[in-house]
Amino acid sequence: MNRPTADPTLAVEVRGLTREYTTRSFFGTVSRVTKALDGIDFSVKKGELFGLIGPNGAGKTTTVKILTTLLTQTSGEAFILGLDIRKDLYEIRRRIGIVFGGERGLYNRVSALDNLRYFSDLYGVDPAVAKLRIPELLKAVGLADRADERVEKYSRGMKQRLHIAKALVHDPELLFLDEPTIGLDPGGARDIRNMIREMRSQGKTILLTTHYMFEAEELCQRVAVISKGKIVALDTPSELKKGVRDIAVIELRTYGATTEYVDRLKQLPNVVRVVAELDSEVQTIRVQTPLGADLLSQVVSALPPDAKIIDRTIKEPTLEDAYLRLVEE
Amino acid sequence: MGSLEGLTPGKRIDSDLGRRSQVIKACIVLTAKLFFADPQWIIPSIIAPFIFTLVAFFLFGGQATTGSFLLYLVLGSGLMGMWGTTIYGSSNSISFDRWNGTMESTLAAPIPLSWIALGRVLFNTFEGVINAVFILVIGLVWFQVGFGLVNPGLFFLASVSTFLSLSAFGLLMCTVILLSRKGGFITNSMEIPVYIATGTMFPVTILPIVALPFAFLLAPTWGIEAIRLSALPGYTGLATSYWVDLGILAAETAAYIGLAFALFKRVEAYAKRNGTLEEY
Repeated sequence: MNRPTADPTLAVEVRGLTREYTTRSFFGTVSRVTKALDGIDFSVKKGELFGLIGPNGAGKTTTVKILTTLLTQTSGEAFILGLDIRKDLYEIRRRIGIVFGGERGLYNRVSALDNLRYFSDLYGVDPAVAKLRIPELLKAVGLADRADERVEKYSRGMKQRLHIAKALVHDPELLFLDEPTIGLDPGGARDIRNMIREMRSQGKTILLTTHYMFEAEELCQRVAVISKGKIVALDTPSELKKGVRDIAVIELRTYGATTEYVDRLKQLPNVVRVVAELDSEVQTIRVQTPLGADLLSQVVSALPPDAKIIDRTIKEPTLEDAYLRLVEE
Repeated sequence: MGSLEGLTPGKRIDSDLGRRSQVIKACIVLTAKLFFADPQWIIPSIIAPFIFTLVAFFLFGGQATTGSFLLYLVLGSGLMGMWGTTIYGSSNSISFDRWNGTMESTLAAPIPLSWIALGRVLFNTFEGVINAVFILVIGLVWFQVGFGLVNPGLFFLASVSTFLSLSAFGLLMCTVILLSRKGGFITNSMEIPVYIATGTMFPVTILPIVALPFAFLLAPTWGIEAIRLSALPGYTGLATSYWVDLGILAAETAAYIGLAFALFKRVEAYAKRNGTLEEY
């Protein structure tokens, strides 16, 4: 019998969820126990777009795997749409959709149409309904013209759109999107974000994990920050940003900035944190400081003589700034 | 890009039996498409059987004086080919998802993994049938083996039963291979012992007595016996009757299926506990 959660308005309810991974030696004795999740609690309301953000290894994917019934928890409990993840796994699986990031999850040697037909059958969709729904979905994700082509010929962005169609093929109420824009070019990522917005406007509940803070800020109504297996903050993006309202951000776009320059900036008084992207031809450097514009002259004068500033702006802190403070504390 | 608005609602099939048969059918279709999508399918299905048949004929060529002995060889080669394809294809039916990156999607489906494996194993055994049929064609056309069966009806029944027993054995092997990332070694090491133990080329009766219990526990041994009894005039083999062979075959096949389904439950629970099934 299904056990209802205390609150029927919740799509996801997690209480004290813990997951440990045990590494065993050749002789079967326990050599190491790693706590991937350490008693996390959170809930997602029906119809909400909820974000789970955190660094690599923080426990995001472990959380998604447990909630999608692919992994068992060591302790604690969780309910999906009022159903217990330990007892009602097939009913839960029927009512949820999962999008895994990256290249995983599709049969590349057959067409998009074959992939969708297969997963539609696996989820028990009435064949008469599937006959209508699959072409509609392919059209919705912009793949109708290439539906008969082998998936191996698709670009990364097209594959990810197919992933979305696959997750929607059985019309789930709740979607788990595990880093859906990872590795996509800006245009492909924008397409996926637009689809996520559309899914939400259709009344779907969405749990999104992402590395990209601007994505969480742009899409999510509430965000949980997870670090070292614990939830260190849970609130709306605007409330989370209030945690860093004591600072401003000097953002520079430069030519020729080096790691030595970044190190020099970190040594300046009143610099809280420096985040730099130095890989491309034009570098972006963000300096968090309580002094705001008053620090600008020192930041500029520290620049090497052969480097050049393209533009500089004083910005309000973003969710990324709040996130960095939370995970580094 | 289109819009997600106005999509046909995703109504599901109500009956449990209907859903299960839909999954089996879907898995057969997908496995077939994946099989034929790779042009290398001709290697196990046409080139390998050709080599099997040639080896068998040249090995026994000097002794092949009667038509029924030639048919014995053709049937043996056919079953060897069928077994080789089945053991390789079936046992990898699910572990294929491990290296293809689709294991999570497969495990996330709202159906026990055993039903997904069953559909795939059925097609993989059918690949073995393609192989066996090709061997028969080579025997009939090239070596001009007479195909005068003692009882075509019983031959057909024994062949279908052997097909099902091979599928059941493949399903069982599937669970063993799922538990180990190096499961391919188990598959490869099973191929030759089973050729010998099931009597595809040599009568089981010439095996050492210690090997006989293993041979008798393999359902295909009884399938091959029943096929030969229904095909070859004067064949005595294990000195059992056709129906006894078929009865033992059915009982052992049922035991394999029962054991495979029970093991699949354990494998799924193990996979959920350890979270390592999708790792390759």
